[in-house]
Amino acid sequence: MRAEILKGHLDGLLLAVLETGPLHGYAVIEAVRSGSGGTFDLPTGTVYPALHRLERAGLVHATWSVVGGRRRRTYELSAAGRRALAAERSTWQRFATAVSALLEPGPAPARARP
Amino acid sequence: MTAARLDLDPATSRVLDDYLGALAARLTGPTRARQTILAELRDGLVEATHARLAGGASQAQAAAAAVTEFGDPATVAAAFTPELAAATARRVALTLIATGPLVGGLWLSVLAPSGLATPAAAPPWQWPIIQAGGWPARLLLAVIAAAVLAAWLTVAATGQLTRWLPARPRLAPTTATFAAAGTGLVDVSLLTTGALAIPHAAAWPPVAVAATASLIRCCLASRAARRCLATRPAPS
Repeated sequence: MRAEILKGHLDGLLLAVLETGPLHGYAVIEAVRSGSGGTFDLPTGTVYPALHRLERAGLVHATWSVVGGRRRRTYELSAAGRRALAAERSTWQRFATAVSALLEPGPAPARARP
Repeated sequence: MTAARLDLDPATSRVLDDYLGALAARLTGPTRARQTILAELRDGLVEATHARLAGGASQAQAAAAAVTEFGDPATVAAAFTPELAAATARRVALTLIATGPLVGGLWLSVLAPSGLATPAAAPPWQWPIIQAGGWPARLLLAVIAAAVLAAWLTVAATGQLTRWLPARPRLAPTTATFAAAGTGLVDVSLLTTGALAIPHAAAWPPVAVAATASLIRCCLASRAARRCLATRPAPS
């Protein structure tokens, strides 16, 4: 599958990996990559702007810390982020159910007689 | 886990620094926003390098793979353009909103004592100076109102409202350009025609202060308008 298809769901994927707890930017991107079995393979540097956009929208909070002498930015879901994730999830489930019903091989649907 | 890590050798660090340098040269926007990006990506690059070292790669291989994984600097810079344009636009709009009442107040302190402006008694369009100025004066008032509206629209379009708005990366830079250009136009008008309307009897220190404030803001606003235009993402 093309990464472009997943890109449309990037915000939801980023929120989803933050659901279990705060992560720094690279860990978020790695979690999306490994969680998608490598299907999601956008250049890492181009995913950071999406995290910044989510922060601007108030869906995640970012905090700075110092780890090993480097500044590190850690992201955490906000209450609004949790709500957005729940909404994204239910939209996706409805969409996936509808698409599976049509695309998955199975007994041919009953056809109206000509 | 961190304690057991190898330090990156100078040549490896240089590969990461060169990459960040190439990226820094391509980022346009507020200094703070650019520094945030570079610090965050440095941390990510070091993490990516360590992940390769843990997998048995040499330092040179690890750094090269990390840099490749992040994407070429031009592509990464382009991905950041909408965010940096939004940061620029927001900063310009907030500065205009904060300084607007200050400059306006200074001009009022010049006009109110002679009765040309009566902020306590009537709305601006009924002030004697506007009545006397005819349609150009009313047009100036309309430009002020439009610039204020554009500045607030910019703030709204770059804050939490983006949660519900469709992604329009060119909107905020455009409204911020409009707000800054409008403000500059208002200052030029105040400095030229406005100054002519001031009675000769007016005390000169408040006039000098208001004119200086307008002159400074006019220069800054025109620079800000050009900057917002320059950072505006290309139409997609």
